[in-house]
Amino acid sequence: MSTIAETVPRGQTSRRMRIDGWRWGGRVFLVFMLLYTALPMIWMLLTSIKSGFAAMQFPPQWWPDQPTLASYQKLLDPQNSVGQDFLRFFWNSLFVSTATTILSVIVAVPAAYAFSRFTFPGRNFLFFAVLLRNMFPAVIFLVPLFILMRAIGLVNTHGSLVLTYLTFGLPLAIWLLKGFYDNIPIQLEQAARIDGATRFQAFVLIVMPLSAPGIIATAIYSFIGAWNEYIYAYTFLSKNEQLTLPVGIQRFFSENTTDFPGLMAASFIMSVPVVVLFLVLQRYFVRALTEGAVKH
Amino acid sequence: MAHVVLKDLVKSYGNFKAVNEVSLTVNDGEFVALVGPSGCGKTTTLNLVAGLTSVTSGDIFIGERVVNDLDPKDRDIAMVFQNYALYPQKSVYMNLAFPLQMRKLPRDEIDKKVREAARVLDMTQLLERKPRELSGGQQQRVALGRALVRDPAVFLMDEPLSNLDAKLRVQMRSEIKRFHQDLKATIIYVTHDQLEAVTMADRMAVMNGGYLQQYDSPAQVFAHPVNMFVASFVGSPAMSLIPLEASTANGDTVLTSAEGWSLALSQPNARKVQRAATRKVVLGARHSTIKLHKSAVPGAIPAKAYTVEPTGDITFVQAFLSGAIVNISVSPNTAVTPDEQIWLEFDQERMHLFDGETEMALRAN
Repeated sequence: MSTIAETVPRGQTSRRMRIDGWRWGGRVFLVFMLLYTALPMIWMLLTSIKSGFAAMQFPPQWWPDQPTLASYQKLLDPQNSVGQDFLRFFWNSLFVSTATTILSVIVAVPAAYAFSRFTFPGRNFLFFAVLLRNMFPAVIFLVPLFILMRAIGLVNTHGSLVLTYLTFGLPLAIWLLKGFYDNIPIQLEQAARIDGATRFQAFVLIVMPLSAPGIIATAIYSFIGAWNEYIYAYTFLSKNEQLTLPVGIQRFFSENTTDFPGLMAASFIMSVPVVVLFLVLQRYFVRALTEGAVKH
Repeated sequence: MAHVVLKDLVKSYGNFKAVNEVSLTVNDGEFVALVGPSGCGKTTTLNLVAGLTSVTSGDIFIGERVVNDLDPKDRDIAMVFQNYALYPQKSVYMNLAFPLQMRKLPRDEIDKKVREAARVLDMTQLLERKPRELSGGQQQRVALGRALVRDPAVFLMDEPLSNLDAKLRVQMRSEIKRFHQDLKATIIYVTHDQLEAVTMADRMAVMNGGYLQQYDSPAQVFAHPVNMFVASFVGSPAMSLIPLEASTANGDTVLTSAEGWSLALSQPNARKVQRAATRKVVLGARHSTIKLHKSAVPGAIPAKAYTVEPTGDITFVQAFLSGAIVNISVSPNTAVTPDEQIWLEFDQERMHLFDGETEMALRAN
């Protein structure tokens, strides 16, 4: 060991040690980040299966003595009033997010394709104008949009939220998708058109499937954005039966005393669709990405 | 199959004319190569025929139809792209079937045609693969198969061999030529490689700067280039072009170099020079028409060998005359060393003379 160490030039040894130092530093950092992100979620999950009393204990029960699914049963039971409200909020959120996602894909796909493939007057100006909305904090538009929504009679409708969320998600969706279309060789479309497809068929049959990863990424982005949005939903909606989950959860549980297990269970259920969506689509997302990577 | 006629075809982008008044006829069953350096307008011309680019003015006929305003799908053409443009998400089978599906053929007929094309191109065992699982040559063959499965009126090929390695390129070159002979297909083939054009095409259209320079059989283009561009573009190594000054005294016409030497011209060549409007004449000579002597010979020009490149069959010698590079081919048995004094004798029968100002070939009549 010592003989080997002696034959290694000094500079080389120290360089290798420095690299190891970085590597270990990186690992420590990653572990720290993992704890930082995972611990709150674990705590959420643990609290959600405690009884109301156990949740308030100090020092806390790290692991619940009597784990219970009572909070979940209450939330998901359409017979009691808590469950009715919760399920309604859940449904509202699902409706608003899905509508936002579908509309944003429907608008972003042709818009991005046009920016990528066609030259038309004002193309560059429009393309940067699309981003203009994202250069301001969302809150700035809260009051103007509320006044606008009232003027067109959309306050207290889910339509107001869908329209607003579209303006958040679309700019990035268009930019993201344009990048995808730029990377698809134009010859593929030309070949399709020569092979007998119309311009539209070439787009739908050849280009759309190839841009699937981009479309999926766009869809996930819009869905999550709409699903988690709080401040606009809080402002635009006031009727109880219309509330979305982020607003609903807050209203619901802070009226008298805060039911922490119930709140945590609701939060957990709320995070399920996003996680499931991501896990299911991520596999396809990665597969589609590697498929495009080996283009000649 | 059908013939193709381009009539005064123009494509401009703003003030820039990518294709300028190009007129040519491709006969039924003919293999025509559009050849020229990059940016010469050959690919634009092909895209105009394909309908991928709109015509600024002029007409394109495929068969008897003017196709200017027809969609690519209605022109009855097939195209092979430089990057093959195979649909990456589809299997080879589906790539071949796509043009037939678009024409709404019945499924069993599609299957029959796809399998027949696969058999012809010897890739039946590849039908289930995705394009990314194929080698460059196989991809090229699928692209060819997708074109031929439909039996179109005209085949358009845009540099189909440029992405292949040198050995495969030579092999695919003969396969495409064979393909043309077997199918009697009308083919318009774009390439920047004059060798491909010369070896494969029935006729070649040499383009430069958006203009059609010369349109003739490779042999004619090789033997009688119309101008200095065509002369230097076709043939490898390039034709040597030596700028000289013409003068006539006592009925003899000679070309004189700024270096002091002069070359007496034969009667036919003298007539060509006398018809020129200028005294500036460029002498063009291919490597095989120049004789290299190791000692002074009457009529031979003294020069110094610059580089010597043995290639096995032939040794190429380069020398400078009047500031121009001159390529000479000699038998490998002729020992020449760099900086050696040599004498060059030009074959009067096979030399080319160009107007030094218009760069056009000088003709006897």
